[in-house]
Amino acid sequence: MTQELISANHAAALAATLAARANRTGRGFGSGVYPITPQTECIELLCNQEIEKGHVVRVESEHSAMAVCMGFSVGGARSFTASSSNGLAFMAENVFAAAFYRLPIVMMAVNRTLGPPWNIWVDHGDTLMLRDSGWIQLYCENNQEVADTTLAAFRLAEDRRVLLPIMVCQDAFILSHTMVLTEMPAQALVDEFLPPLDLPHRLADRPRVIGGLDLPHETEMHRLQAIGAMNNVFEVYREVQASFLQIFGRALPDPIVPYRMDDADVVLVSMGTTASTVRAAVDEARARGVRAGGLRVNMFRPFPEDLLRAALAGKKKVGVIDRDLCPGLGGILWAEVRGVTEPGALVQGYIAGIGGGDVRPAHVTRILNELVALERADKPRIVEVG
Amino acid sequence: MPALEIRLHGRGGQGGVTCAKIIAAVYAELGKSVQTFGDYSGERSGAPVRAYTRVSDDPISNRNKVYDPDHLLVLDPTLLSDEVVQGLQPGGTLLLATSAPMESFVGRFEAFRLALIDATAIARRHKIGTRSVIIVNTTVAGAFVKALGLPLSALEHAYQHLGLLSNFAAAREAYEGVQVREPIGLEQRVAVPAAAVPAARPDVLPLTEHRDGPQPPLKTGNWRTQTPKYSSYLAPCSAWCPAGNDVIGFVQALAQKDEKAAAAILANTTPLAGVCGRVCPAPCMEGCNRREYDGAVNIRGLERWIADHGEVVLPVVTKHATPRRFAILGGGPAGLAAAQTLARAGHDATIFDGEAALGGVLRTGIPTYRLPREVLDREVGAVLALGVKTALGAFLDREQLASLPGEFDAVILATGLQKLRGLDGPGADLAGVQQGIRFLHHINLDGAARIGGHVVVLGGGNTAMDCARSALRAGAERVTVAYRRGADEMPAIAEEVEEARHEGVAFVFLRAPLGFVGEGGRVRGVELAEVELGEADDSGRRRPVVTDKRSVLECDAVLLALGQSAELSLLPAGWELREGRVHQGGVPLAVFAAGDVSTGDGTVTHAIGDGKRAAGRAMAALGLDVTPFARPDRAIAVPATDIRFDHFATSAAVRESLETPAARVRTFDEVSHGLADGLEAHRCFSCGECTKCDTCLVFCPEGIIRRKDAAYEVDYSYCKGCGICVKECPRKGMEMTAV
Repeated sequence: MTQELISANHAAALAATLAARANRTGRGFGSGVYPITPQTECIELLCNQEIEKGHVVRVESEHSAMAVCMGFSVGGARSFTASSSNGLAFMAENVFAAAFYRLPIVMMAVNRTLGPPWNIWVDHGDTLMLRDSGWIQLYCENNQEVADTTLAAFRLAEDRRVLLPIMVCQDAFILSHTMVLTEMPAQALVDEFLPPLDLPHRLADRPRVIGGLDLPHETEMHRLQAIGAMNNVFEVYREVQASFLQIFGRALPDPIVPYRMDDADVVLVSMGTTASTVRAAVDEARARGVRAGGLRVNMFRPFPEDLLRAALAGKKKVGVIDRDLCPGLGGILWAEVRGVTEPGALVQGYIAGIGGGDVRPAHVTRILNELVALERADKPRIVEVG
Repeated sequence: MPALEIRLHGRGGQGGVTCAKIIAAVYAELGKSVQTFGDYSGERSGAPVRAYTRVSDDPISNRNKVYDPDHLLVLDPTLLSDEVVQGLQPGGTLLLATSAPMESFVGRFEAFRLALIDATAIARRHKIGTRSVIIVNTTVAGAFVKALGLPLSALEHAYQHLGLLSNFAAAREAYEGVQVREPIGLEQRVAVPAAAVPAARPDVLPLTEHRDGPQPPLKTGNWRTQTPKYSSYLAPCSAWCPAGNDVIGFVQALAQKDEKAAAAILANTTPLAGVCGRVCPAPCMEGCNRREYDGAVNIRGLERWIADHGEVVLPVVTKHATPRRFAILGGGPAGLAAAQTLARAGHDATIFDGEAALGGVLRTGIPTYRLPREVLDREVGAVLALGVKTALGAFLDREQLASLPGEFDAVILATGLQKLRGLDGPGADLAGVQQGIRFLHHINLDGAARIGGHVVVLGGGNTAMDCARSALRAGAERVTVAYRRGADEMPAIAEEVEEARHEGVAFVFLRAPLGFVGEGGRVRGVELAEVELGEADDSGRRRPVVTDKRSVLECDAVLLALGQSAELSLLPAGWELREGRVHQGGVPLAVFAAGDVSTGDGTVTHAIGDGKRAAGRAMAALGLDVTPFARPDRAIAVPATDIRFDHFATSAAVRESLETPAARVRTFDEVSHGLADGLEAHRCFSCGECTKCDTCLVFCPEGIIRRKDAAYEVDYSYCKGCGICVKECPRKGMEMTAV
């Protein structure tokens, strides 16, 4: 185990490299890559790695990048790519295809605001656009989580009970370009954690067809099977967490991460790095005697409905801070959290930090104070922080 | 009022969805609310499809498919099944597009009003669709309108609005032609229940698993509306051969380097291949489809090559159990062909001929530079080798002729064209004016006839050419052929005219002879009138119209080649030739005419064909079990439009090598040396005969045509009937047929 001062972009690239090498006794590693700010550093580093039985193919677009990953994956190779924002939008057709083909591809997505007008900074609108694509989505809070979750994602995705692709999401610049000391495990440990991929529907010598025409009933059944795989994720993820802890001596974050929730009267729900800002504001409020709590959603897909319902049981005031915006509705996280709160609870939506605005503890404190005073939920509010 | 619901079953490409739309449009014309839609699937042309139409007085909000139709249309009879009629209400109309008659539905579909229309035949007549896919929708709609008692005018208006008026005539024909059978015993009938909503559905294999074992086959053969079939079709060369030669057969045998088979095929149909390979006008080459591309195959040259190089194995003749005796009058081509036919059938044939040797005009008329006598002798010898007897050297008189039917079981009259057309003008009796045929006879039999000075030949046929060219060889200083029509109208073989020109024969066209001028009893010139060409006559040639403009062509001798006809005055009294058979007092005798005496066609090949036919008729008349030779019908031969020229590289026909004009013009040695080899056979398209070229196999998009034994096999369980194999076949070795 070594500590390195690296960005989360590089952490993801190194984690992918370790995972790639871990499949050297299997069918190797293959990746299709196309650069986009703020993901470029990740794939640049990946391209410069020596990977036995590994191919990183530089293609002409994100759409092709995912197509290449699908080709490698269906051939039994471990596969990884990275993208962001409009790149994800262009990739979208094949993003859906990867999930519908049930291919365990891992993609590091650096959350960046969709343009135009052009904006390179963080918000979650790009990956949330793909929330219905059939991918598992995990939203990291710090650099170490990016490294660890990337490694864990391969194990989760490749589990026979799952066989779904995973997006490991991280906030643009706040994580992607921020360098911290990050622990990267030794290859031997990764080998122990991550057995070679054995894709059951791998295409080999015998010519086969996958993904031909479905009649309506066949589509119903195939979607039902994908739902079943999603439902298995919680159990498998717990096993992955246990194994990860045992092998690397470090815990993976739970699907949802509560903070000082037990006696909290007012709760703020968030995703990504906003959760750490929320913790600071909660501590500040607690110091003032306000019984505040924080709840971070790490796993957005599958949506941890039962866990959230349990965590929010009895909570009468819930604020949801979205770093995304669905015009005509409000925050996407807010819309989904409304379905798992206590009946009669006040659930107020806030949109903070879209377009990369720096959400500071003072902003969250202001939200918290407003929420404490609020008697009835109002339309979602955009908090100007930029 | 509940909506009237109509369901339609068809195949992709037949226009079923449009048919349902037409029906909706008709009801819309009648002021109804309508709704119409198709049921689309991933399969393509030919796959079963459904379409639906709802009609109501009220706005229609139901968007479901139709499960319990009031009326049902089935555009393709091969779709008919219990599943198709599911849900149809008793008394409802079941309209079926089929060529099957109403009688074939006894005991079936009796609960319904059954309406039948042969829509495919009607649509095909009206050329709706393509050769491989006939589109029946607009036609069926006409039948539906009639079956439902709707006004035809509403259909016409609908077609107007839909831009389909060009199809209305077909719809009207269907309207007038639809057959309807009312329901039988309706009161006891209950509806065929619609398929229930299924409770349990089959498992669907997850995408994370592979199906092992064979994939469930998608047998696309049921998409087919037409079926490709391999067959043989009549090649024009064979159809055009008056002698009935299997022309494509011997040419293709040669193309496959089977010279022996080629010779056997020829010997099977003609006794005179070596003769015809030299002197035949070759109607086969006129019919040859390659003429439309880069020139006819030199079939005549190939026939000669086979006759000259092939080893003819004579068939072993088995004597008939009760051999009949036949007398054949005339040893020309018709007589020889008749003799060969009769002898091969195991009968006794005796040829009577006034000349000392057999061959008729081939020996007396055709010069040796065109037909060496050893060729003729060889082929006559082959006929005699079959056991044919001869009685030569004396012409039979009327009395002898009259007694023949008593001495033989039947008589074949093959005396040719003995009557020579003369010129009744002044000076016809001048010395130096003679019949060309007589001149040729002297040269050919006596070998010594000489002629000098300027010789004028009158006529434009092959005899005229023979006279002109023989005259040059017999000493003439120069020769002029005067013909009353134009160069294009000359009946002589084109090559003969060309060779004559090269030898120095001069031609004057559009000149009709009126008479001769002489001096001291000897001819000194021919008086010619200028001719203009008028309207075409029965032969298709423009009729010569003689004008007042006259001139005299000076000359030293004149050869008349103005035509010949049958000399029937030599027949016994009371004998009357009618439709190729001699009658006496209205009673048919066992005397059959063969060749020119009967038909006047004037070519060797026609004479051979007619000799065979007359022999067959004679045998049949004696109660023998034979089918007389009949010429194939040219009209059904494969037309050039059925040949895919693109598949063939262009190549010029190979011609016979000829002796140079300077060398040949003073001798009677054969002018043509024939073809050097049989390679010209490779130019044959093989029209209508599969050559196993694999084009169908290569182009089949489904890959379901395979070689099997010496033929091809189509896997019809997958053949969609796309027609590409037929479209691509270079030579019409196959065609699309009804399923």
